[in-house]
Amino acid sequence: MGASMDDFRTDRRAILGLGAAAALAPAAARAQPRPPERPRGQVVVGLSQEPTVFNPLMPGIEVDQGVWWNLFSPLWFTDPEGRLVPDLAREVPTLENGGISADGLTWTVRLRQGVRWHDGTPFTAEDVKWTLDLINTPSFRARSRAGHQLLRDIRVTAPDEITWRMETASAPYLSILSLTFIVPRHAFAGVDPNTAPFNTAPIGTGPFRWGSRQPGDNITLLAAPTYHLGGPFLERVVFKYIPDLTVLYTQFRTGQVDHTSIQGISPPFVREARTLRGRVIHVNQQASVEHIAPNLGGGPLADKAVRQALYMAMNKRALIDAIYYGLPTPTESFLPRQSWAFNDALPAHRHDVAGANALLDQAGWRRGAGGVREKDGVKLEFTNSTTTGNPVREQAQQLLMQDWRAIGATMRVQNMPAAVIWGEFWQQSRFQSVMVGVNFTLGSDPDVTPRFHSSAIAARGGRGQNTYQFANEEVDRLLVLGATQFDQAQRRATMQRVQAILREELAILPLFQRADAEGVKEGLNGYRPNLNCSSNCWNIREWFWTA
Amino acid sequence: MSGFIARRLGQSLLLLVLVSVVGFAILHLAPGGPLSQFASGSDMTQEDLDRIAEQLGLNRPLPVQYAEWFVRMLGGDWGRSFRDGEPVLHVIGAHLPATLQLMVTATLLAILLGVAIGTLGAVRRHSVFDTLATVGAMVALSIPTFWFGLVAIYAFSVWLGWLPSGNRSTPGDGSLPDLLRHLILPAVVLALVETAIWSRYMRSSMLDVVNQDYIRTARAKGVPEGRILLRHAFRNAALPMITVLGLQLPTLLGGALVTETVFTWPGMGRLFLDSISYRDYPVVMGILMFSAVLVLLGSLLADLLHAVADPRIRLG
Amino acid sequence: MSATLAAPAFRRFTQHRLAAFGAATIVVLTLGCFLGPFLLPFDDTTIDVMNRFAGPFSGTHILGTDELGRDMLARLMMGGRVSLIVGFTAMAIGMALGILVGAIAGYHGGWLGAALMRLVDAVLCFPTIFLLLALAALVQPGLLSIIILIAATSWMDVARIVEGQVKSLRERDFAVAAQVLGASDARIIIHELVPNAVAPIVVAATLTVARAILLESYVSFLGYGIQPPVPSWGNMLNNAQIYLTSAPWLAILPGLAITLAVTSFNFLGDGLRDALDPRMRGR
Repeated sequence: MGASMDDFRTDRRAILGLGAAAALAPAAARAQPRPPERPRGQVVVGLSQEPTVFNPLMPGIEVDQGVWWNLFSPLWFTDPEGRLVPDLAREVPTLENGGISADGLTWTVRLRQGVRWHDGTPFTAEDVKWTLDLINTPSFRARSRAGHQLLRDIRVTAPDEITWRMETASAPYLSILSLTFIVPRHAFAGVDPNTAPFNTAPIGTGPFRWGSRQPGDNITLLAAPTYHLGGPFLERVVFKYIPDLTVLYTQFRTGQVDHTSIQGISPPFVREARTLRGRVIHVNQQASVEHIAPNLGGGPLADKAVRQALYMAMNKRALIDAIYYGLPTPTESFLPRQSWAFNDALPAHRHDVAGANALLDQAGWRRGAGGVREKDGVKLEFTNSTTTGNPVREQAQQLLMQDWRAIGATMRVQNMPAAVIWGEFWQQSRFQSVMVGVNFTLGSDPDVTPRFHSSAIAARGGRGQNTYQFANEEVDRLLVLGATQFDQAQRRATMQRVQAILREELAILPLFQRADAEGVKEGLNGYRPNLNCSSNCWNIREWFWTA
Repeated sequence: MSGFIARRLGQSLLLLVLVSVVGFAILHLAPGGPLSQFASGSDMTQEDLDRIAEQLGLNRPLPVQYAEWFVRMLGGDWGRSFRDGEPVLHVIGAHLPATLQLMVTATLLAILLGVAIGTLGAVRRHSVFDTLATVGAMVALSIPTFWFGLVAIYAFSVWLGWLPSGNRSTPGDGSLPDLLRHLILPAVVLALVETAIWSRYMRSSMLDVVNQDYIRTARAKGVPEGRILLRHAFRNAALPMITVLGLQLPTLLGGALVTETVFTWPGMGRLFLDSISYRDYPVVMGILMFSAVLVLLGSLLADLLHAVADPRIRLG
Repeated sequence: MSATLAAPAFRRFTQHRLAAFGAATIVVLTLGCFLGPFLLPFDDTTIDVMNRFAGPFSGTHILGTDELGRDMLARLMMGGRVSLIVGFTAMAIGMALGILVGAIAGYHGGWLGAALMRLVDAVLCFPTIFLLLALAALVQPGLLSIIILIAATSWMDVARIVEGQVKSLRERDFAVAAQVLGASDARIIIHELVPNAVAPIVVAATLTVARAILLESYVSFLGYGIQPPVPSWGNMLNNAQIYLTSAPWLAILPGLAITLAVTSFNFLGDGLRDALDPRMRGR
């Protein structure tokens, strides 16, 4: 009981601490409204993609995860300040409390008692063991086994205690578990977990239970009376699929949608949205970093001098101010500035066309026919791709095109639908450059081994997502070291060095840390953005309407 | 007649198999795949993607995959959607009612209006009404439906506040008045373009007829104009419309993608586009076969109607 | 002159005037799009973010500027090149193919007619999006491929309509008479049957021009058409979506251009139909 009220006070402080966003919220300035005694009312959340996956261990995207947060619980989660907060666990295991052994190899987790599944069955350590085992079951289509595949000897030592050994120490595993939702063992008895009835009518320990689904339209969740962490205060949550962003905004405007989540309001609408009566617009920093992804495996972009010159020649400020209406913050790192491992001492971007030209001259790129530079018969020409149907990104591309023409570099746009661009084209590094926003963190963990370690290049037989084909011996060594450091100060030093090298090499051309505008109807309290969760629907259990 | 129908049905079955082979090949050979959506910005690594492709059987040779799909389909098992794990027939069934509701309303509206406007336009050719109807139809055809939808939403729901800006019903309210209120805007917007098409074909067909000898003969004999139109002209002018009607049948159940998107109407058009965008192979194949059956049926029906309406035509 | 005699004369006059108006507008649009850009002080891709969203008739840019400060008139003209070429060429190819298949199938009937019409049925079985996806995977992106893609999805309706018309016309007196007089099949088809089916063909052609212009932006959306910064009326209209209330001219101008082109073509077609239709001849 005390835990829930504590949670709630943090909530209010967080909103006040949000600065700009809170200043726009007149409700936060007035006397703080109190949640109702019993769940009341409903919230319609508008989503531009349709949630379709309800088994939280199977492949799903952000919108699916937004639903999972309300149906299920992890052992612990990451709050907006980056702290791990126990949920199904009684406390987060650390070296200090003995939950993690000194060598980082043996973990013991003690679980909250008295938690019940939505169908009334008590939650026990057997469910946790089942979940972890299921992820590693060969025939099961688990989303990701990253981290989990290190588990050995999972043992239930008491109904509320579980312990395991790890093949190698893994600091990121704490964060991986903060995004791993526990599923009920009894729901899978005697069925194929890939097609279990559970997958379309899930049972969880979250604040809301499964209501109904109208495919292509909406998912309705109902308040779960047995929830263990305080709340929920809403009777019903409706996740409504609205495929077009203009339409989504219009429905928010007319009041048919109470909250626009994930890519909520596109930048050109923000100014107008702020003038709407009865609507509050929050501009939230996201964890993902928008960047130009160069393919370092060949072509002109493999030349570091070219990347440096391109970076100098881009007018980042104009791009952010004009195209993105000044919402996002320019950045030099792949990590969000809120991360504990963020390096704020990286050299700042400087818009310097003359410098860029000089750099290219020095590196031997000479102007040829039509003003396009050449070196050893290679023209300074490349394509840039992003997903079609994103007019804001297309504008940014065209601006960069003009910036780069000024230094004798020709960029051609080659956009493709999502299913095509993120297929082999991206996975196997068939692109020349891509404009993309990537969240490099896992929860609040800064590990980027799958993204930048040389063994993670799929195009060269690797197993990760290093589609940039970045390879650097020092970074490889630091990434391996960082993954085994449980001391945050030591690990911070390691990761800051990684950021410095990546900035120096320009493995990515960072544009900005994304900031998305999301709308909330006035009178709806408790909305608290969290860039450590993949969806700001993570805490709907705390939301309520002012009476 | 029955011999003709039997022959056509036989040909249609053959065509269906052909369509399924070609469709299956196209779908699988088109770039991208069902796992692309997880490849950017998620925690899934290449290892995970490769494993799931293996588990879904996507790495097997195409003919093997097709054969398996075909055999199962004959047994009534159309597979499960890659997106939500539901059986394909269930997915299609869940989207059909919304589409039927919208399309039948809009099509009826469009045929009634289109035939009336077209007939009137032909009879009073080059009158003010005809010119206005022509320009109106051209505007309707030149502006994407998306725009009409948005403008209608701004006019009737943002500014005037008379009608909801989309959806089939208010969450938690499924009453008939609520459903009808939600139906008005999308049905009218969809009917607009359809009306334009019908009115153009009808006008042209009617013009053809009113200039023919027997009509002029009737006129010369002093038969009242109204009777001429209804008895003689209209009946003959409707003949070519049968073909247009046959072409329309599949769209009745295929839905209207754009209208469904603007008005967040959970119908077949939306389902098809989403399934193609996510490369949800089983669902796309399901819809393809479903629509193919309708196309062939529409074609057969149009030919039969033609033969019934015009005795000169021999069914060959 | 009595009113009863004046009316048909007036009708004939207006009808020719509309057709002439249509033809003139298309010529003007075409010339404007292909020559206009050379006369303008602005080009269609120069970005000027300080000067974006300038309204029409408000400054140095006659029709204003777009979301990146580019001259709207220049973009309309350059966009018109793409849209007019795609609209008319795709229509012409689609019509030619459709009429050919429909006429042969309708005239011959029998196994050839059945085979051709089943082919039409088979292609119709694939929804347009699916066909575009399929064809797009096989061809190189570019203007020509857009035209082929759109034409390939636009001939089936015409084929069906022409087949239906020809099938019923070939039993009529004039066709039978021509046959008796020993005219060749091709002659009968070209001189007797197709002209009698010209009315629905003209309607279908008008519909196809409009459809092709709009479909172009969809093909581009699929990633196989033209890419930014090259404008087309279709993609200008699409990109203007988010500025519907803040900068409505971004949508209205290309919308007007498409309407003008399609309407002109329709009037031209109407005149053409009167000229070709044998029943109207000499009247």
